[in-house]
Amino acid sequence: MKTKFKFLVKQSLNKKIKTKWFLIANLIIGILLIGIFNLDKIINAFGGDFEETESIYVIDKINVYDEFASIFNNNVKVLDMKDFKLERSYQSEEQLSNMLEENDHEMILVIEEDDLNYLNSKIISYDEVSSLTKELISSALTTLKTSIVVKENNYSEEQLLALTSPANVELKVLNPNASSEDNKDMMSISVIMVLILPCFLLITLLVQMIGAEVNDEKTTRSMEIIISNVSPQVHFSSKIAAGVLFVLIQGSLILLYALIAYLIRILLGGSIISLGSSEIFVTIKEMGIFNTLLKGLPLIIILFIFSFLSYAIVSGVLASMTTSVEDFQQLQTPLMIILVLGYYLSLMASTFNGAIFIKVFSYIPMLSFLISPTLFLLGQVSLLELCITTVISGLFTLIIFKYGLRIYKVGILNYSSEKLWKKIFKSIKEK
Amino acid sequence: MLKVDNVTKYYGENLAVDNLSFEVNNGEIFGLLGVNGAGKTTTFRMIIGLLEMSSGSITLDDQPINYSNTNQIGFLTEERSLLTKLTVKEQVIMYGILKGMKEKEILEKLDYWLERFHIKEYRERKIKELSKGNQQKIQFITAIINEPKLLILDEPFTGLDPINVALFVEVMKEFKEKGSIIIFSSHRMEHVEMFCDNLVILVKGKSVLQGSIKEIKKEYRKKNIHIIGDVKTEDLKNIKGVVEVEENAMEIIVKIESEKYIDDVFEVVKNSKNIIKFMVEDPSLNEIFLNKVGEVYED
Repeated sequence: MKTKFKFLVKQSLNKKIKTKWFLIANLIIGILLIGIFNLDKIINAFGGDFEETESIYVIDKINVYDEFASIFNNNVKVLDMKDFKLERSYQSEEQLSNMLEENDHEMILVIEEDDLNYLNSKIISYDEVSSLTKELISSALTTLKTSIVVKENNYSEEQLLALTSPANVELKVLNPNASSEDNKDMMSISVIMVLILPCFLLITLLVQMIGAEVNDEKTTRSMEIIISNVSPQVHFSSKIAAGVLFVLIQGSLILLYALIAYLIRILLGGSIISLGSSEIFVTIKEMGIFNTLLKGLPLIIILFIFSFLSYAIVSGVLASMTTSVEDFQQLQTPLMIILVLGYYLSLMASTFNGAIFIKVFSYIPMLSFLISPTLFLLGQVSLLELCITTVISGLFTLIIFKYGLRIYKVGILNYSSEKLWKKIFKSIKEK
Repeated sequence: MLKVDNVTKYYGENLAVDNLSFEVNNGEIFGLLGVNGAGKTTTFRMIIGLLEMSSGSITLDDQPINYSNTNQIGFLTEERSLLTKLTVKEQVIMYGILKGMKEKEILEKLDYWLERFHIKEYRERKIKELSKGNQQKIQFITAIINEPKLLILDEPFTGLDPINVALFVEVMKEFKEKGSIIIFSSHRMEHVEMFCDNLVILVKGKSVLQGSIKEIKKEYRKKNIHIIGDVKTEDLKNIKGVVEVEENAMEIIVKIESEKYIDDVFEVVKNSKNIIKFMVEDPSLNEIFLNKVGEVYED
């Protein structure tokens, strides 16, 4: 019987993996992940207005060009968004205006004296000037104006710095274990993105695959041949094992693609900082999240596996009860809603810090794998509580396997939807 | 030997099989006949262990049928029980391994049977690409690949042309000679008559006729007389004991209640002209079947 079980697992797995569609899907996933990791490089590679250097010809009538250029270039460097070329011109406005190309990459900035406002400026361009460029010029001129005012009134460098620097606001939190709400939100989102979202997608895939396979065997009546040679228990177990193995393989492949995508990014000269998540990583590192994650990781992995098993068992049972793929698709909707509920509760965990409602749901099997790890990383549940959640999930898996198998035995050879629920309840009672 | 002993099956309150008993010896072909819903498939499913009996017992060589001896059984279901997305080779390997065979052995036998059924070129083709007849051949191969001790065939000739029916029958006879027990159902009585040793006719799950075809025909009192000649059918219809007179392009068929009316018919025929045929025959199994099923329904 062991050989038959191994064969059924292998065959079920091969049906999912040894297909051109699996290859194509993985190729697409790989390409998409590489693309997402290197999106900024790809956008740059295809070119566009954003990367063209804007030339600003400055007609300086009050002799402040050097100081203006210094302030402007410094601001541009800090923002690191666009390239500008500043050039002082000694030609007249008319002469320069005639030379402007018919685009928005060249402009003339005229800086003039103003009796009341110290200086006045004017931008001349063929096309509209972008708001960012206007803002940069305006900002640099404002700083320049402040500088002129300070110099004319003989303020010292220190006084100038004190005048222009932003007011300092110090945050003092009395609870030594407390972390800011913003950081918690960020952590929650990062945990959900990295751990939960792929699991959410993989479980959706798992439910559909097991359901489709059981349904296929049932509707083609090959189930009769299979069950006449192996027990429903062996068959059911093989479907669950193959489904969970598939999910683990697909999950590992996604991780591998992400790693390759990251390595490609490094090779292309990029860094993770440009992905816009540097702040999250720094925060997670500073707050010791990696250490917490490492502490809970074995339990989280076990919890995930129990949850995969639970969903596989439930989808197999539901598929055995239905007589067509359409019926199964309708019956799997509540499962999907359970998944979505868990996902949203997990997202809300950081907003509703310490909510009893969410904590209670974190113990409920099939939801716990989405909520409990997030609460653990947010410090809202302890390692012991995570352990209890995992044990509950494990016991639940055993119980639904025991009773699910009874339904499965009856369901797989039932081709009529007449008195279905009566048959199901009767099968649960029968040993 | 397959022994079905006082088997009863209820679906809820509905009686599907009613106290059915029969035995099939090694090297025997046994027919399980009945109209749709008579309980044939339920009986097969109980034999193979897919359904639990409400009461009674089924044994193969005095052993109850369970997963310890299902490797000795071959089963062909009425509907196509093939995974159409698999190739022929994958499908046969799958069912072969589920029968406890090794892949090498399966492939050797597969090649033999594909050659035998003239479908060698379909070995690597997906089942959904095959015609219904060829799918039935593959299904038959999956049932016999393990050279079963007990071969259960539920409507094996569905979708087959006469040439392939003959091929199936030939293979079934070979298995019979090797000592296999073959139990099958069919709506086509000429097939049953062709090679069946014993049979049971089921009506609403109950056996209404059972035994060897020869004995059944012998015990069945009604006879058919085939006549070719210038005989007035009206004269034949007026004879006592004549149930029905059929006339076709070739001959007249007179159905009589029993052998004792043969002489009365002959008396009428011998006075007619141009008589070239007067032959008394047992009725066909189809007639017996229709008669028996009709009788029970009328009750």
